Amino acid sequence: MANVTFRNVHKAFGTYVALENLDLDIRDGEFVALLGPSGCGKSTTLRMLAGLDFPTRGEILIGDRVVNDLAPGKRDIAMVFQSYALYPHMTVGENIGYPLKKRGIKGRAREEAVQKAAALLQLEPLLDRKPKQLSGGQQQRVALGRALVREPQVFLLDEPLSNLDAKLRSYMRAELIELHRRLGKTMVYVTHDQLEAMTMASRIAVMHAGLVQQFDTPDAIYNRPANRFVAGFIGTPPMNQIEGAVDGGDFVVAGHRIPIDRTAFVDSLRDGPAVLGVRPEAITIATGEGLPATVRLAENTGHETIVTLELPDHSRIAARVEAARRLDVGHNVALRFDPAAIHLFEATENGARLNRDETPASVIPMRSK
Amino acid sequence: MTAIATNIPKSATPPLERAYARLGVLLIAPTILVFSLVIVYPLLAAIYLSVFSIYTPTLQGGFVGADNYIELLTGKAFWNSLKVTLIWTVGTLTLQIVAGVGLALLLHQNIWFRSLARSLVLFPYFLSTVVAVLVWKWLFNDLYGALNQGLMQLGIIDMPLDWLGSMPNAMIGVILVGAWKFFPFVVIAVLARLQTIPENLYEAARIDGAGPIARFFDVTLPQLRSVLTVIILLRAIWDFKEFDLLYLLTGGGPVTSTQTLSLLVYQEAFGLNQMGQAAAYSVGMMLVMLVFMVLYIRQTKEKNA
Ligand SMILES: Nc1ncnc2c1ncn2[C@@H]1O[C@H](COP(=O)(O)OP(=O)(O)OP(=O)(O)O)[C@@H](O)[C@H]1O
Ligand SMILES: [Mg+2]
Repeated sequence: MANVTFRNVHKAFGTYVALENLDLDIRDGEFVALLGPSGCGKSTTLRMLAGLDFPTRGEILIGDRVVNDLAPGKRDIAMVFQSYALYPHMTVGENIGYPLKKRGIKGRAREEAVQKAAALLQLEPLLDRKPKQLSGGQQQRVALGRALVREPQVFLLDEPLSNLDAKLRSYMRAELIELHRRLGKTMVYVTHDQLEAMTMASRIAVMHAGLVQQFDTPDAIYNRPANRFVAGFIGTPPMNQIEGAVDGGDFVVAGHRIPIDRTAFVDSLRDGPAVLGVRPEAITIATGEGLPATVRLAENTGHETIVTLELPDHSRIAARVEAARRLDVGHNVALRFDPAAIHLFEATENGARLNRDETPASVIPMRSK
Repeated sequence: MTAIATNIPKSATPPLERAYARLGVLLIAPTILVFSLVIVYPLLAAIYLSVFSIYTPTLQGGFVGADNYIELLTGKAFWNSLKVTLIWTVGTLTLQIVAGVGLALLLHQNIWFRSLARSLVLFPYFLSTVVAVLVWKWLFNDLYGALNQGLMQLGIIDMPLDWLGSMPNAMIGVILVGAWKFFPFVVIAVLARLQTIPENLYEAARIDGAGPIARFFDVTLPQLRSVLTVIILLRAIWDFKEFDLLYLLTGGGPVTSTQTLSLLVYQEAFGLNQMGQAAAYSVGMMLVMLVFMVLYIRQTKEKNA
């Protein structure tokens, strides 16, 4: 059993609080992504799990064992660093075999394990090379090989793909998914790239300012964001957030009324200031009835067009339309929102979502800075 | 094909490249000139002098052919001094490296007095040799020296030792002072290299199950290898021809027990006024040093390749 548990973990560097109230329950064999903007504490979380940093408070468990005081080498984990951290003077084969060597595995047994890992990652022809003589993608695979040669219980990966070019990255993404499926080991994957998190992870912990904002499946993160931060972080472009007020069966923005279905929201929803969230693809651009807006920019990416629209209150939102659609800049249009795709949030800085959902998301309010 | 094409000379260097070559020669000319004046000329002069018997004060004397070299090969002086030089070089260099690397590793740790210690360590290197030798001579003094005093109080010796006046104490003494004077160079060079070793490598090694000793041998030492080779070669060359420290501390004595080749050359030229013989010794010394030089050049070439 290699589930991983963070129990009320705090981490402070001097007076700076990097993480607080971290509670994560990662199941055995799960692929979990830690996703968030730079400096939110992803690496710190991973390094504490690896034993390279120590929590100021709280417990970390691997399986049923509290590992707080266990040396990194004794935790039965392996880590892939963003910089790969390959030993420069050792060959690829020696690099991969090193964790085994340090555990006293000798001769044929070690050689066979190295061969197996090399075969899995197609590194066989490179075994005698030094890291300096490898491309970025090859080095990345060697780092992976060194991690999986010893078949640890938990794999930790800290932005392992961030040094690769886009093409290689998407290739390695597929490789990692495949690898996880084959090995069935617990993997904790740090990234600031939402595409990686969405495509690879079974669950994503979205982090911001030292707090986990939401820990859920990619689907839930996308469709039922816990709060305004998650809504504004996931999606390219992310969910539009329109400030206004709830008034009976309508959401009012700059004097214009957008009908909403009050039964879709929590009972505590009151009339008054709120934020309406709507994804760019849930907006229909038409004429006549609807929220008036002016086209400000139309960016055609080839398979779709992202339209930037200015609302009567001069705020801007994005809409996604098919690539063939011609929209002239400066044109006045009317916007209609898919009623089923309307989210409401509290009007605070990181307001919680107010929709009534089957599964309530684990919501932790953003720390006031 | 066409007239234009045939007009271009086939294998000649392009004019621009030729202009660059001329500029290059112009730019290195001053260096070559100075180099010739201060290195090539004295070198040739030494070789020239070494086949004469010359009285230093008058610089007069006659051609003697290979006589000086025969004396070098058959006499005791050169070989004795070569042996002394090698003992001194190996001894002091070993101590410098061991103490230097050890201290560099210590200063690389996060200790509270680190920045103070880092500047203090440089002290012996910056101290003028004359001052350093005076201090050490006072410490070594057999009548009132602090060293004997300390050793006696600790019960290690029960009679004051004659540190610089007898063997092997004199050799041990100069080796110790040499190590003390020059180990900061090793500390600084090794420390600079240590700071460039990525922290990630140590973290990876810890996760891979390597303890502190394994981390030293598997991560630190391989990374220090190239810098250590250069340090050892450079220090070996410098220690081999070290003059002022030995001259001031023992003057080569007792008798010739600490007379290195540099001291021998000096003694021959200005003590015995035999400039020709001294030149022959210095040519012999240069040939020995050539070995170090070849090693050094090969090492630096390897790194650039
Ligand atoms: N050793 C340290 N001393 C002081 N502060 C630190 C230290 N390590 C990290 N921090 C701080 O803790 C916060 C979280 O850092 P962390 O490295 O976990 O961020 P991250 O989410 O991995 O960001 P990135 O995507 O840029 O890697 C940052 O604000 C960082 O400045
Ligand atoms: Mg990070």
